[in-house]
Amino acid sequence: MTLQQFETLYSTTKDSVTKHVMAEKFDNLEEHLEKFVENIRQLGIIVSDFQPSSQTGLNQKLNFMITGLQDIEKCRQQLHDINVPLEVFEYIDQGRNPQLYTKECLERALAKNEQVKGKIDTLTKFKSLLISELGKVFPEEMAKYKAIHGDDPPS
Amino acid sequence: MTEIFSSLYGQPDSQGPSGPSALGFGSGKPQVPQNMGPMCFPHQMVDEGGPIRKPSAMNEPFYLLRELPMENELTGHTNLITHYNLEHAYNKFCGKKVKEKLSNFLPELPGMIDSPGIQTPVCNNSFSPLTGVMLTGFRLHTGPLPEQYRLMHIQPPKKKNKHKHKHHRPQDPLPPETPSDSDHKKKKKKKDDDPDRKKKKKDKKKKKVNWSCYTLCMKIHVTNGLVL
Repeated sequence: MTLQQFETLYSTTKDSVTKHVMAEKFDNLEEHLEKFVENIRQLGIIVSDFQPSSQTGLNQKLNFMITGLQDIEKCRQQLHDINVPLEVFEYIDQGRNPQLYTKECLERALAKNEQVKGKIDTLTKFKSLLISELGKVFPEEMAKYKAIHGDDPPS
Repeated sequence: MTEIFSSLYGQPDSQGPSGPSALGFGSGKPQVPQNMGPMCFPHQMVDEGGPIRKPSAMNEPFYLLRELPMENELTGHTNLITHYNLEHAYNKFCGKKVKEKLSNFLPELPGMIDSPGIQTPVCNNSFSPLTGVMLTGFRLHTGPLPEQYRLMHIQPPKKKNKHKHKHHRPQDPLPPETPSDSDHKKKKKKKDDDPDRKKKKKDKKKKKVNWSCYTLCMKIHVTNGLVL
């Protein structure tokens, strides 16, 4: 096995291991969240038509809610390196799909990329045009300039 | 430091006028020290307190001609989405239509989640279990919830496929533990309708019984009349 092959194999295995570890952390958090949501739902059922015999069950559910929040709090330590943009929470608070934020980010990035590419292309064309025109008017000076900075690549 | 400064701009005692011009500002042009060659500037002058005059500005054929900046490989000229291997993500989010509502992202989450949030979440509090004294505040009144709070935990009816809207789908068998689903509303409606229906049925039955009794009585009277 050559060095390059070893490096590629190492990088791919490292990526897969990190993905697996991250997936486990997310699965753990997801499991806790699902249990918490289920507990809340059952609490809502009890409250919707309350009977005196349901009081102990209600108290139990309330304490489960607190332990659920404690478990979710513990999951936070495993995911301290995950950063979520604050704007995503604004979307969620408005009841909107957070994937729309990702979509809008990508669209904005592409639009800005195209805008900057246009500027670069325009300035490159301007530079080559300016050098050619200056070469017609000041041939000696432009020859010195090209000697210093080298010939510019054709636009 | 002063020795270097004076050597650059000439001796203050012997050469040039006194005052600011000794520093080279009065003449407008700096005086090149005669001891040193045109291309050689001591490195110390650049290090101590910053360069006074850059060599390129003075010695190149073009005034203020500087070196070109280092070319960055990654600029806006390249397609950054391709560069960072985000084509799949771009096609996934921007190629297809992403649904607007939060319930489309979390279809399994119960409750009305599409409405905007009212309260900001409270953070940075410790979680301690509720004691017996605290739980006394959670003693509820018996009976069903008032009508204004009843439908809060019920999900909005999901839109069915357009092609199949004409056909009535038979209702799926309701699981016993899911009263908070959309079927809950139907169940509640049924429950609400049932006593009404029963009452109506009872009323109808009563009416029928009364009418049948009346007709019997009439018959009896008629027969008695006839007999008599």
